[in-house]
Order: sequence, then structure tokens, then C-alpha cells
Amino acid sequence: MKRRDFLKNTGLLMAASPLMNFGKNKPLTKKMIVLGFDGMDPQRVMNLIQKGELPNLRKLAQMGTFTMMRSTIPPQSPVAWGSFITGSDPGTYGIYDFVHRNPKNYMPIFSQSETLAPEWVVSIGKYNIPLKPGKVILKREGKAFWDYLEERGIEATIFKVPNNYPPSKSNQRTISGMGTPDITGGYGMYTLYTTDEDEYQKDITPNRVYYAYIDDDNVLEGEIEGPRNDLVKDGETVKVPFKAYVDFRHKTMRIDVQGKKIVLREKQYSDWVEIDFPLIDGISSITGMVKFFALNVRKNKFRLYISPIHISPLHPALPISTPDSYSKELAEKNGLFHTISLPADTKALSQLTFGVEDFITQSMSVYDESSKIFDYEFQRFLDGKQDFLFFYFSALDQGQHMFWALNDKTHPYYHEKEGKEFGYITDELYRKHDEVLGRVLKKIPKDIPIVVISDHGFGPFKRKVNLNKFLYDEGYLKLSTNDISEEVSILEYADWGNTKAYAVGLNGLYLNMKGREGDGIVTQSERRKILENIKAKLEALRDPDTGEVVVTNAYISEDNFSKDYIGRAPDIIVGYKRGFRTGDSSAIGSLAKTVVRDNMNWWSGDHCIDPLQVPASFLSNFKINKKVPNMMDIAPTILKFFGINNPSTMKGKSLV
Amino acid sequence: MAKKVKLSKEAFEKAEEIITHYGYSSLEEMVENLIDKEYTRIKSGDDENAEEQAEKLSGLGYIS
Repeated sequence: MKRRDFLKNTGLLMAASPLMNFGKNKPLTKKMIVLGFDGMDPQRVMNLIQKGELPNLRKLAQMGTFTMMRSTIPPQSPVAWGSFITGSDPGTYGIYDFVHRNPKNYMPIFSQSETLAPEWVVSIGKYNIPLKPGKVILKREGKAFWDYLEERGIEATIFKVPNNYPPSKSNQRTISGMGTPDITGGYGMYTLYTTDEDEYQKDITPNRVYYAYIDDDNVLEGEIEGPRNDLVKDGETVKVPFKAYVDFRHKTMRIDVQGKKIVLREKQYSDWVEIDFPLIDGISSITGMVKFFALNVRKNKFRLYISPIHISPLHPALPISTPDSYSKELAEKNGLFHTISLPADTKALSQLTFGVEDFITQSMSVYDESSKIFDYEFQRFLDGKQDFLFFYFSALDQGQHMFWALNDKTHPYYHEKEGKEFGYITDELYRKHDEVLGRVLKKIPKDIPIVVISDHGFGPFKRKVNLNKFLYDEGYLKLSTNDISEEVSILEYADWGNTKAYAVGLNGLYLNMKGREGDGIVTQSERRKILENIKAKLEALRDPDTGEVVVTNAYISEDNFSKDYIGRAPDIIVGYKRGFRTGDSSAIGSLAKTVVRDNMNWWSGDHCIDPLQVPASFLSNFKINKKVPNMMDIAPTILKFFGINNPSTMKGKSLV
Repeated sequence: MAKKVKLSKEAFEKAEEIITHYGYSSLEEMVENLIDKEYTRIKSGDDENAEEQAEKLSGLGYIS
């Protein structure tokens, strides 16, 4: 459906809704709620509504507005939610991609936070004792909208908005979401014990696979490998032993770990289990938490999955909330809950450790936890304990990444059998999110503004593009080797003295600038011409197999962003046509044999493309003053409702 | 073999503050501790490592 048709349809939905009466510079409300459904695609919502589904989203649209919303360049979650947080464009808050690079050594780095080592360490015997502990820094700049609310005494709860780890200093109730690491400092490393020899030999780096030696008494002795012990010289990882007593006859097992006993039947996913990883015996330890998943409990096939080690909200090893007590309050009232960046283990499905059904089981547990905490927070909101509530759900995004190929017969990774069995799941996730809204609509007084937004829509990811190979073919990237029969890392093989451009990140392309990059050669005087040439070549790029356009827009950053943190931006942000995306190896600086190839992976849907191809969703119970709002308009709109004029830090405009 | 190192006046004054603050017994002890710390950091691979970075980033799911 074209945008014009979409607007026509939403116009019919909203025809009967009145405009709310808004005064000037006075608070328009005392309370407001915003739901963030990551990845909710407006077209899919429209299609489902037209089929008679999603009654609550339909009702909200009829009460006020349902429209497409402009996402950020690029439409990646940390970038788009950064725009929501600050009411501005990426140039203001300095996050342009999941992956940035260190210009001095070209190394890909995580964009949203940085971990600093302890500054002063004293060595005593075999221990290194930090006198001043290390810390984690939030790289997202700019003032958050909830800080403006705080200045007016408006109490807000911000649940897991992406791009807020560690949470920025605040007296509001905030808890971090996307960007939060596991306790090893990574973003999710799982462990698998298996009796399948082939699986045991498989490289599932950085995840861990061990052979499951089950003795004659049907006991498996294993270890949970935790963080590296930086307190010990030449520190190794800290390991906690466990025993699994297996009952093959009943397809069950009992896992004993640190005095806790967990009983699981085959295909059961456990509750959270807190684990203490000792650093110095009896003196210092770090607490994390895991879930066990009994994937197979058969004589001929035993497989036990152990989740990444999440930070425990009850005993957080790293800062995840403001105030510190907030995460504990949530855990005490609702039970332990996932804290890691992207909680559904997409890697486990990509690497075929999970089957589709296992991933659905895990995804639903993530959704159920969020849903339970939402009910708790919503009740507090209704009870008058909060003025503003933002609540984030991740399940639609992660589900659509992994389930796209179940329903798309044109996808190279389409699986007919799984499609027939599990093809219902994406629509089911939309229905689940609709139910959350239903609970809000049922209980909330009519005069309280309700907004439902996503950060981007969704599309297929059929073809992987290697930007470094494109730059190599076009003569912008030179290598010190002629052998590219295997993938090569530009970090190892680029001839930087003759390289003008390189690619790192999911949409980023950089010039090798003199004075900025470690071995840069491009001068300021030639910069613009090179940028325009690369842009033209990218937009002329065709898929060699199909002749399709690959890139619909190559955005030159300096033409599109504020200047505050433009220095961190890629020089060009590549906006792909639906169906294409940067290949994963290209994103971390590798060069493949071909520019375009099939994506043969369950990670089969994506949104890291041209924002015009994957607009976000906006729904509200009030009319707005724009046909197509922008992500950066939401924060000014929230402030306007509470009687706060548009701050100078925000480029967006209030929608009311 | 012990070696002598020349410090500027400013650096020496800062060193004295650090010695007082953290209770080092001497300038030598402080310097040796700092060197040990840096050496440990390099040896333990805390310096950016492409493979480690890639492994961390792969947990995001976007990179397989």
C-alpha cells in the first residue's frame, strides 16, 4: 500500500474524532502515558486493523490519530530513541549507529556506552585492588525530556528506553534497556551443553559450547563461566560449578547450583536463578542471574542451554536504574526480570541452538515479564504516584527480525515447514501488544493523553551488502593483499596510506580524513567532491543478480545533522532499499568476495535501511497538527502537554 | 639495575599529592605500582582488541 492510500485509510478511521481544546503555555494535562512498541510497523498495523484485528489500536486511532512517523537517519533503535529522548536529531546527541569506530585505529566500537578501567590499582599478593573503581559512561549526549519534567516537579517513570545505559543522572524513576551489557561486559553470551558431536564441534563464538559428559549415574557436572576476575593478576574468568541430575525416563532434570535446586522438564525454560561469582573468597563477589532451558532430555540427545548472565536487578553489579533502589523495587514487587540489552536470544536461533519454537518460548517469557511490570507501573500511575509514564516493549522488534522468513516466500531463507507451523507468531505478537493498550484504554480517564509510538517499521532482509567490497571495487579502499578469496579484515589488511574511504557500522561509511583518522590521507579541500562521488555511485549501485536498486538514498551527514556532535558521525549514512542491508561482516570492517549476496539466516527482517522505506508508527487519542510527525516531535509534545515551552535544545516541534 | 628518572616540578608536586592521598610509602613504590598496573593492563588485553570488540558487538544480534 502506498503512503497516499495509507493516509486515506487512516483518515477514514479518524473522521469522527474531535480536536482537543488546548490552551497556550498552560499545562494541558496533569498526567500522560506513552507506550513504546519497538519496531511496530504502521503498514502491518493497518493491514491487521482492516482484517478486523487489533481492536484497541483501532479504537485509539478512532479517538485521535494514526499515522506514519518519520524515523531518524538511520532508522536504528538507539538512534531513533535518542531522538525521542532529546527531541532532536542525532547531531545533538552523537549516536549514529549501533557501531561507531575509533578514528585513531579504525576499530569498531559500541556507540552507546564506554567502560573505563579502574584508575588506581594496588597490587597485594596475587590481587589487584582498585582504589578508584572503573566506571561506565553513557555516550548519548543532550538533555533528556524527563529532566525538563523534573525541573517542574513532574514525576516520571521511564521504563527501558533504549540508549540510556548507564542511566543518565536523574531523580526520576528510570531503568536502562537496550545498551545494557551482561555481567561479562558483552551483549549476551550463552552457553550450551550438548551430546551432539557435530554441534559440539561447531564454532558458535562468542558463545560457549561444551560436550555434556553424563556419567553412569546420569549426572552432568558443568560450570557457569562468569566475568573475568580483574582483582586477580592475570585474571581468569570466574566459574561456578553446577550439577544436573538427569532422569531420561521422565525427560526431566534437577540442576543444583550454589544450594539452589531447579527442576526442569524437557522444553521448559526456568525462572531466573541468581548466581554469585566470587572474586576474592568471602570478601568480594559479583551477582548475576541466568535461566536454564532444557532443550532436549533424551538418552540419544541431551542439550542444556544457559542464558547470558544478566545483571540482577535485585543486586545490580553495574548501575541500571535511578535511583539505585528502583530496579530492586521492581524485582521485589514483580520478581527478577531480564536486564540485558536485547533480551530475546536471537543469536541462539541464528546459530540453530534454538529451534523456532524454543525462540518463541523465550520471546514470550520476555514479553510476559515486561507485561507484568507494565501492570505494576500502570497501577502506580493510576493511583496518582506518577504523573508521566513511558513504557517500552522489545518483543515486536526482535520477533520481526527473526520471524520474517516464516511468512515471506520470496525470502532466500524461507522455510515452508516452519512457516506453516509458526507463521502465526508475528501477528500474535501484534495482538499481544494490542492487549496491553486495551488494559490502558479500559482503565484510564478519557482526558489523559495516550500516545503509542514505534521507532521504525520493518522490512525483509534478503540481501547482504558488503560496503567495503563496494569501496574496494570503486578504488576508494586499497588492501595490502591481493587475496580476497576469503573475507579479510580491513583492520589488518587495509593500505591506509592509499585508502580514501572505508565502512564500519550498519549504515556508516567514513572518509579516511587526514588529521582525524590515524593514517588519514583525504584533505579538507577534496572531501566534498569525494563524498558526492561516492554518494552518486552508491545510488547507482545495482544488484548484479537482479538489477534492482540497492541504495535509495546515501545521506551526506553534514547536510542532515546538527553540528554539536557531527564529529562522531559517519561521513555518509547509507539508506538501503527494502530487502537490502549492510552484511554483518562489513559492519565490523571486513571485506567479502562479493558486494551483494543472499542472507541465509533466521535474522531475516530488518530496518537499518533508508528511513523513508521503514516509517515508524504514531497513534494517539488526540489530533495532531502535522500529517507526518517526526520522532523528534514527541519530546516537545510531551513537554507542551505539561505546559513547558519548546526548549532551545530541541529541534522537534510540539504536535499539539 | 635501578635507574634514576627526572621529574618536572609540577609532576613531582602531583606525585606527592598522590602519595599522600593513597598512602604510598615512597615515590618509588607509587611509580612501581603504576608501571605494574599499566603492564598488567597491556598484558591482560584491556587495550582495544578487534576480536574482542567483534565478539561483544555480535551479542547485539545484528552481527552474526
